[in-house]
Amino acid sequence: MKLGVVVGVVWSSRKAKELDGCRLCVVQPISSSGKKQGCPLVVADPKNIAASGETIVYVTSTDAAEAFDTGFAPVNASVVELVDEVV
Amino acid sequence: MIFAKVVGTVVSIQKDENLNGKKLLLCKEVDHEGNPLDSYHVAVDAVQAGEGSFVLLSYGSSARMTSTTKNAPIDAVIMAIIDDVQITHKMKS
Repeated sequence: MKLGVVVGVVWSSRKAKELDGCRLCVVQPISSSGKKQGCPLVVADPKNIAASGETIVYVTSTDAAEAFDTGFAPVNASVVELVDEVV
Repeated sequence: MIFAKVVGTVVSIQKDENLNGKKLLLCKEVDHEGNPLDSYHVAVDAVQAGEGSFVLLSYGSSARMTSTTKNAPIDAVIMAIIDDVQITHKMKS
């Protein structure tokens, strides 16, 4: 799992039905100290946790599907937590 | 997931039987503004995308997690057609 900041949103009216009702966010990965790291990526937000400018934890790879209730979705990354503070 | 633009169709007569009835599209990877990058993917179409569409592509084992691609020997699927990408927050560093 990695830290990232939500910097944008992807609007899509036609998507795979496994993703119905799921928002897609543009996330900028950050380092543990909060600095930008690498390129932005698209992350699914099945639980509607993310808001613009918020720091989140996202999970990548096959495990990203586990963030969905069904455990079955064609996603490479999902938001799993909203970060209040990193100490 | 990565951004991609559909640039062509891959036509094939002889293929794995699990790929029967699935449309294969040639997709060029792009950035969030639509500027082309170096790599490309041959992806199965799960959303009726057409040539020139700006799409989201899922790759690796996650690509098999749609009703169209379940149990098929594939590693890239087009799972959304993008209407718009909005950048709402600018990061400083």
